Amino acid sequence: MKIGLEKRKVISGYVFILPWMLGFLAFLVYPLVMSFYMGFRKMTSVSGMEMEYIGWENFSRAVLKDIYFIPLFYDAIRNAFVEIPLILVFSFFMAMLLNHEVFGRAFFRGAFFLPVVIGSGFVMEQLLGQGVGALQTVAADPSVVNTGVTNGLQIPDVIARYLSPEMYGNLTDILGRLTIMFWKTGIQILLFLAGLQGISESLYESAKCDGATPWEMFWKITFPLMTPVLLLNAIFTLVDSFTDIRNQVILYIKQVAFTNIEMGYASALGWIYFVFVFILVVLIFAFTRKRVVYTGM
Amino acid sequence: MQTAVKKLSVKWNNNPVVVKLKHWQAGYRLYRMFIYLFLIGLAFVFLYPFLFMITTSFKSVNDLVNPTVHWVPKEFNVKSYFNAYALLHYLPYFRNTVLMTVLSVLGQVLSCAFVGYGFARYKFPGREIFFGLAMFTMIVPPQTIIIPMFIEYKNLGWINTYLPMIVPSFFAHGLRGALFVFIFRQFFRGLPVELEDAARVDGCGAFKTFFRIVVPVVTPPLLVTTILSTVWHWNDFYEPVIFIVDRVKFTLPMMLPLLGESMNKATGGTVTSNIDQSTIMAACMLVVLPIVIMYLEVQRYFMKSIERSGIVG
Repeated sequence: MKIGLEKRKVISGYVFILPWMLGFLAFLVYPLVMSFYMGFRKMTSVSGMEMEYIGWENFSRAVLKDIYFIPLFYDAIRNAFVEIPLILVFSFFMAMLLNHEVFGRAFFRGAFFLPVVIGSGFVMEQLLGQGVGALQTVAADPSVVNTGVTNGLQIPDVIARYLSPEMYGNLTDILGRLTIMFWKTGIQILLFLAGLQGISESLYESAKCDGATPWEMFWKITFPLMTPVLLLNAIFTLVDSFTDIRNQVILYIKQVAFTNIEMGYASALGWIYFVFVFILVVLIFAFTRKRVVYTGM
Repeated sequence: MQTAVKKLSVKWNNNPVVVKLKHWQAGYRLYRMFIYLFLIGLAFVFLYPFLFMITTSFKSVNDLVNPTVHWVPKEFNVKSYFNAYALLHYLPYFRNTVLMTVLSVLGQVLSCAFVGYGFARYKFPGREIFFGLAMFTMIVPPQTIIIPMFIEYKNLGWINTYLPMIVPSFFAHGLRGALFVFIFRQFFRGLPVELEDAARVDGCGAFKTFFRIVVPVVTPPLLVTTILSTVWHWNDFYEPVIFIVDRVKFTLPMMLPLLGESMNKATGGTVTSNIDQSTIMAACMLVVLPIVIMYLEVQRYFMKSIERSGIVG
């Protein structure tokens, strides 16, 4: 049997993505469908994994009856909405700075990624165990925060002397939160740096010849060409923020599933969460579709 | 910056040329100084958790309660490290973690490169849809699917093994697999196709071309994905905690919350959490030290690779 070159190429293509397709079916489609199925059911026997159909009860329970879920969910959303723009602006700014020729550039670049190396897991949790716990009680007692790891960004005594206790507490709280946020920006800075490196130097040179100021060059060259990276980063930050292990909703779902052993209800919660994240991502894409500049590809 | 320049120009008002040159230089210097101050300040904030860990881990009990000792310990004390090493039962758990990490990373990097190559180089019906679906996997929160996964793995008899972490990696999934597929695809798209064409003309098949011709030249994205994957797998806490029940099979990060308990067992004491901060930090250091060393070792190439991996489309 003779197969044409084109056809053979198509087959090779499918073979190349075959591992992904199998994984997609086994580790994503199947659990997603199962979790949807379980969301409408209630477990009647834990040992036998028997389930009974109860309709929309789990979902209505989450929205109407559960006194924990909605407040936690609201907090997660509020945090994300404050954090994501800050992270994006800050990491973009940092990438711009690090893209300059500065002395010790390698050192600075290495330093900014270090929190990702040590901080993507439980170690950071342990470190923050002394800081974050204190941060939560900061409203009650501002002096507690001084013992934590987050006192890296402390207000100097000279200034602190003139602040009221509440204001001092609020400021320390904000600084602590900013510090923790900074530590999460390593990946975003890297992606932005990679993007900035991809912009051809000749564009800036010709712009300079035409008498463009650095300010104009940023808005007319750098920013438009960076919009694809910005989009990627926005999605990454969004997902990262919603799937972070410190995220309260995640901890709550885990507790419902594995401590209370209410698998059906936990699945329903998971689905509500997922649909919300999905809608957000679709909105981001819809909103940026006309604004993102793609060159070449 | 503006005001500084103005002041200078008033002072040296006699010779216009010199004035211009001088105040340009002064302004530029000021600008550079500002940038360095800013960078150093921020670098401190970023290095802070690491510095905190190091200095605290070397503090003795006296230093810990002494309010005058903030950064530098009065005596160089390595006892905490011996304590932490014993309490963590370091070696067997280190071996566990290495086993899980190495296998997962190997599978993930290879399979993601393979799949990313397919997405970048071959045209087939439905390619864009499949790629869209691959990106879609990135936004599914793990907790949505964790329960059916748990049941699925339980039925397969994979609970209490590392297979739930390793096997998905070999199918281009696992921890943030979609991001790696994306990175590889972007890189392969920017790679000139001539080399592969030449190999094909010489009678090299599609897979032989991939393994013999393509893989050796993709060091930049290979390095980037390997490092990210290693760091994420090594520190992974969420999945192992759910899928691994048996204490003997725990990974190093999973041992950290058990330090207090471990201490109790060692001393036969009844007081829980009677463990000093210095030992906790030493334990944290021991857990992250292997990947920090790895990162510092390849850091320079890593940054260069990031630049060359052409992540921007």
